[in-house]
Amino acid sequence: MATITVDGKEIYAKDDATLIDELLANGVNIPHFCYHPSLGKDGNCRMCMVEIEGKKRPQIACDTPVTDGMVIRTKGENIARVKRQILELELINHPVDCPICDQAGECSLQNYYMDVGLYDSRLDTPKNRKKKHIDLGANVMLDRERCVLCTRCVRFTKNITKTHELGVVVRNDHSYISTFPGTKLSNPYAMNVIDLCPVGALTSKDFRFHQRVWFLKPLEAICDGCSRGCSLFVDHNKEKYKDDVVYRYRPRFNKDINGYFICDYGRLSYKKENENRLLNAYIRGMESEFEYALLKMERLLKRYNSKTLFLLSPTLSLEEIYRFKVLSQKLGAQISGFDENFDENFEDDMLRKSDKTPNRKAFAYLEIKDDIDSLKEQIKDKDFVLLVGRDDVETIENLGFEGSVGVMNYRDFKQKDKLDIVIPTVSHMSREGCFINCDNFIQFSSCKIDKNLEAVNLLSFLSTILNDGKTTCEDVWNSGLGKMNFLKNIKFKSVKTNTIKIETK
Amino acid sequence: MGIKIVPRYGKSLKDRLYLPAIFSGMKTTMSHFAKNLKDTSNIKTECYPEMQPTDITSRYRGVHRLTHRDDGSIRCVACFMCATACPSDCIFIEATEREDGIDEKMPSLFNIDLLECVFCGGCAEACPCDAIRMDTGIFSFVATKREDFVLNREKLLANKAFRGEL
Repeated sequence: MATITVDGKEIYAKDDATLIDELLANGVNIPHFCYHPSLGKDGNCRMCMVEIEGKKRPQIACDTPVTDGMVIRTKGENIARVKRQILELELINHPVDCPICDQAGECSLQNYYMDVGLYDSRLDTPKNRKKKHIDLGANVMLDRERCVLCTRCVRFTKNITKTHELGVVVRNDHSYISTFPGTKLSNPYAMNVIDLCPVGALTSKDFRFHQRVWFLKPLEAICDGCSRGCSLFVDHNKEKYKDDVVYRYRPRFNKDINGYFICDYGRLSYKKENENRLLNAYIRGMESEFEYALLKMERLLKRYNSKTLFLLSPTLSLEEIYRFKVLSQKLGAQISGFDENFDENFEDDMLRKSDKTPNRKAFAYLEIKDDIDSLKEQIKDKDFVLLVGRDDVETIENLGFEGSVGVMNYRDFKQKDKLDIVIPTVSHMSREGCFINCDNFIQFSSCKIDKNLEAVNLLSFLSTILNDGKTTCEDVWNSGLGKMNFLKNIKFKSVKTNTIKIETK
Repeated sequence: MGIKIVPRYGKSLKDRLYLPAIFSGMKTTMSHFAKNLKDTSNIKTECYPEMQPTDITSRYRGVHRLTHRDDGSIRCVACFMCATACPSDCIFIEATEREDGIDEKMPSLFNIDLLECVFCGGCAEACPCDAIRMDTGIFSFVATKREDFVLNREKLLANKAFRGEL
C-alpha cells in the first residue's frame, strides 16, 4: 500500500499500480484518449499530464508507476495550460462537425474542451481534409478527420482479437487509420472499437443517425444471446406519440463475466425487442381479445390439471422457472426444460458459448429435467402442452403428441392457426429476473422497459393462477426460492447489485 | 407562509365620490377623440384584416422556415439541437443519410406542430447551422383541421423570409 497526495488530498493506492488507474478509481478527473484499462498504456496522446513534485516537467499519468509519498497536482494554472495546449493540438485538424456526428454527447473531445479547453481557435490556415464516412465493414463507419490517432482500435485488433485488421498509415498529420488494402474489418467482436473510440472517428453503421445519444436512457440488463450472459446497458427512448424503442446495447463492465466487451451478435440482438413481436392473442387460430385469452388459459389449466406438461424455455428467468415449478407441483403436472438451441460454430475462446440461451443452468439447480428421454416419458399421457418462452411446436410434434398445444412467447411465428391458444408475453428487456450463466454466476437483469403492447408478464400471470399476489422477483425470493439449497448464502438484495458465484459442491 | 400587508387606498372623501376620477379619465378620452376627429390620418388603429401591419421588425418571431444553402438544397443537417431546446417538444425530426455528397446527414422528416409551439424562438437560437429561422413575419396562421397545423419539411422550406432571404 502506498500513500500519495493528490491536490492536497491523501489517497491510498496499490503499490506498482499505474498512476492513472488509481486516480480514476478515486474519482479524480484525468482527461485521456489513448489509455484504456483493457488495452493498457500507449502514451501517444499526452492528454493525461499531471504535475509530480520533484519532476522537472509534467508527466503522463498512464505511464507513471505509483510510489509511496508521491505529491501530485492535477489542477492549477500550469497543468491546465499544458492540457489546453495538447487539446488544441488534437483539435487542429478536427472538422468540428458535431451536428452530424453520432458521437456528439458522449465524445471525449467535447467533454475535455469544456473541462480544460475553452480557448478560441488561433488557426488561420486551412485544415487537413481526409476521407469521411468510410465503411470499414462489420457495421463500423470510419471518419478519418475526426480521429485523434489514439490507436485504441488498432491495439484492440492487435491485442484482444488478434486479427490485426487495423493500422495507422502515412506520416505526421496526414496519417490515418486504415484496413489493409482490399480487406475489411471482420471479426465477431469488431463493433467494440465503436465504444473504444473516444471520439467520433468510429461510429456504428447500425445506430447511425437513428437517435442523438442525449435522448437515450440507459438501463442495466443481461444479454440473452448465449449462456455467457454478458452485462449490458440497454439504451432506449420513448419519443413523443411513439412507443418505447430500444436503440442499442452497449457493454457494461463486469470483471467476472465479460470485462469491457461484448460480441457483435449480442450487441445487435436488440432488434428482436422491436421487430417481429407477437401482437395479438389467438384462440384456435382466431384473433382473440387479450383478457379473454388469459381467462381461457386459466380455464384450460384447470380443465387439464395433471394432464398438463409445461415445456419451458431456458430463456426464462430463474424466478419464472421456479414459479412454473410451484404451479406444476400444485396441479400435479409435469415440467420439462428440453431445448436444442445449441450452435457449436458460435462458440469461441473469448466470450461466445455454443449454448445460445441465458439460463439453462437454472434447470439443473431447480431440479427440472431437460433431456429428450425424460421429455418422451413425461409427454406420454398428457393432453395439454404449454410452451413457455418458445414456439418450437415441431419439437413436440416430432414426439408424436396430438393433444392441445398452447404457446406463451413474445415472438411472432408461423403455426399459430394450428394451436389452441397463443398468448403474447413481455420480452426479455421488459421484465426483471435472475439468470445463471455458464460459469454458475447469478446475475440480476433489472431492465424493465414499458412497451405499449398487450403482453402478459409471466410472474403476474402465475400469481393470478396461483392466487397469491407474488408478482415481483423479491416476492418470489421471499416465498421460497431464496430458501433453496443453492441460494442459501445469497441474499436477493446483493444479487440485485452484484454478480455472485453460486458455490457448487 | 409569509403574509404581505398591502396598504389600502381610496378611503378619502374625494376617492369615495368617484366623480373626480371619472371626469379626469373622460378628459383623456375626450381629448384623444377631439384630436382624432380633427385629423383622421394619424389614427393608430388598423382595420385588420383589410389593413396589414407594417411595423413587423426583423426580430419578430413568426412561423418558422427552413433555410437553403447557396445551391438551393436544404441547410438542415438534422442535429436535433432545435428539438432538444424546444420547451414544448413540438419539433419532430427523423434523420437520414444524405446521398448527394454535399453533406452526410439531413432530415427525412421535419415536422413542427404549430398548435403545440409557444413561439419562444429557442429552436432558431439553438441551431448551429442557421437552418431554422422565425423571420417569415407570419403572425397569424389559420387552418381548419388539426393536421394542417403540422408544418412538414416541404412547407417549412417553401416559407420565405419577410424581408427576402439574407
